[in-house]
Amino acid sequence: MNLLVIGLNHRTAPVAVRERLACPPGKLGEITCNLLGAAQLHEAAIVSTCNRVEIYGLTGQISDAGAAIRRHLHQQHQLTESIDPHLYELRDRDCVQHLWEVVCGLDSMVLGETEILGQVKTAYQAAQTAGATGMALNRLFQKAFAGAKHIRTHTGITRGSTSVGNVAVELAEKIFRDLQPCTVMVLGTGEMSELTAKALRSRGAGTIMVCSRSQDRAEALAGQLGGRAISYADWPAQFPVVDIVISATAAPQPIITRENLAPLMKLRRHRPLFLIDIAVPRDVERACGEMENVYLYDIDDLSQIAEQNRAARQSEISVAQTLITEHMAHYLQWFETNRPNLEQRYRQPVANPTIPNPLHAA
Amino acid sequence: MTDQTFIWSAAACYAISGILTVDRLRRSKTSVTTHPINYATMLAGFVFHTLFLYSRGHTLQRCPLTNSFETTVFIAWAAVLFYLLIGPSYRVSFLGAFTAPFVLAILVIALLVLNDSVAGVRLLRSPWVDFHAGIAILSFGAFGLAGVTGLMYIIQERQLKTRKLTSSFLLLPSIEQLDVINARLTLLGFVMLTAGMIGGMISYRIIGHWDAPKIIWAVAVWLIYASITLARQLGSVRGRKIAWASVGAFAFALVFYWVISHGGGTP
Repeated sequence: MNLLVIGLNHRTAPVAVRERLACPPGKLGEITCNLLGAAQLHEAAIVSTCNRVEIYGLTGQISDAGAAIRRHLHQQHQLTESIDPHLYELRDRDCVQHLWEVVCGLDSMVLGETEILGQVKTAYQAAQTAGATGMALNRLFQKAFAGAKHIRTHTGITRGSTSVGNVAVELAEKIFRDLQPCTVMVLGTGEMSELTAKALRSRGAGTIMVCSRSQDRAEALAGQLGGRAISYADWPAQFPVVDIVISATAAPQPIITRENLAPLMKLRRHRPLFLIDIAVPRDVERACGEMENVYLYDIDDLSQIAEQNRAARQSEISVAQTLITEHMAHYLQWFETNRPNLEQRYRQPVANPTIPNPLHAA
Repeated sequence: MTDQTFIWSAAACYAISGILTVDRLRRSKTSVTTHPINYATMLAGFVFHTLFLYSRGHTLQRCPLTNSFETTVFIAWAAVLFYLLIGPSYRVSFLGAFTAPFVLAILVIALLVLNDSVAGVRLLRSPWVDFHAGIAILSFGAFGLAGVTGLMYIIQERQLKTRKLTSSFLLLPSIEQLDVINARLTLLGFVMLTAGMIGGMISYRIIGHWDAPKIIWAVAVWLIYASITLARQLGSVRGRKIAWASVGAFAFALVFYWVISHGGGTP
């Protein structure tokens, strides 16, 4: 009995290949069950995200299983060209380690991202519901999920945001107690201002105002964000109620200066003001950042923090690897001890994989 | 056990609490709110602290506020009391990490520097004296903890302002949250201090004892906190300046209290 994983990810395969192999979430269970029969696997689970497609399995014929899975993949997705060069195949210890690294976000495009854990959980649940997993994979995935939780808490692998938008949110959360009562003003529409505003919105920012020289674009973005558009001439009048400003206009000169901000701060009774200036050339005069209760970050400040966080995560990889090795050891030991049991349990090949095998109950 | 054992045990608990928190912060890389272990060691320290005050009070047959040592220990006790009350409800990460060393420092100064003699103390007895002293001490506990949040504010604000974000940046609470706690503690302290001053005036009328330096000090402290409270209510000053004021006011009050009581006046 051996564990194995065959798959490809953003590093081994271009998006053109990854998208051919992607499995629709609703059909994951069915696809996994078909695979069980076709590739002589006793247990299987398929993880399919935009950055990876991986098949985890338990097999009694390790020498043939790899080739069988590959064949099945080519047939199922009607591939005309071979995808073999993009595929990696890992067995037993390496397979376990790989899953652990995936759920910890070590194998992700954005190091330490947490979305992958949820995606793998969904994949596992689909396989389990379809009856494709059993004693070996149930334990493998459950231990990996618990391990990932521990490793994320005890290392800095997920610490600090690594994108400009999320860095801005993180800063906002260190200025304001709660983003819900905060009013955000977006000055100038663009990809960056949209991403930043969306990030703030997703973390609870209550009111969003969008202001652009083009009323159409302002209204379009306001619609997306669930905010309201205001006319460009109106923004100084609205300013006293604003807590966070995302500024990204194409203005050649600063539109917020120390001089015009000072009276506004008085009107705001000196409540903290967070200015996110992502425009180039900059929209906010640098001197504004020296004013009491004003926190000014430009695009370089934010990118620099994101870069620092990335470096900090990078330096935590070895710590995480050590923890993974410790955690994995328990599972591997269990697997070795139970290998004879598994062999006995799966002596008979699976007759009809679409009907849940009673032996699969862990 | 003598009362000395109790107070040193309390100090040891606060030291352990501080060390545990720092160690946990070093190992755990995510945000830390008030942790049961930190809270439990602070609570243990508080129990020893209370036992000290109780046994001292039992010996003296009155509220143990007869010298600057006892008063200072009492202020530290009140600060821990407020920490234990607000720590869990606000779920402020790091508050314990700052409170433990703060209380420990005050206790160490009290134990090593301050005068713990019974000599020269006139035992003034009146329920108003006890009310006046007790509530004034509680107000100082609140001011002390407000000073702690003020210090946390200053550190976090500086990081935000200079854009130099160290790893502790992620663990410290938001400046607005610190500001809110600071405001509430200061207001609570000010109300209690005002009540204590009124109690003091009544006890003066009953006992007729007059201690000029102490009254000047008390009025100065009251005026300082009155202006901080007023400035905040008017919204004319906010943030960093208020935080500095709350740190400075507490340091001023405590240091000058030690100075004037060193002369041998009533505590």
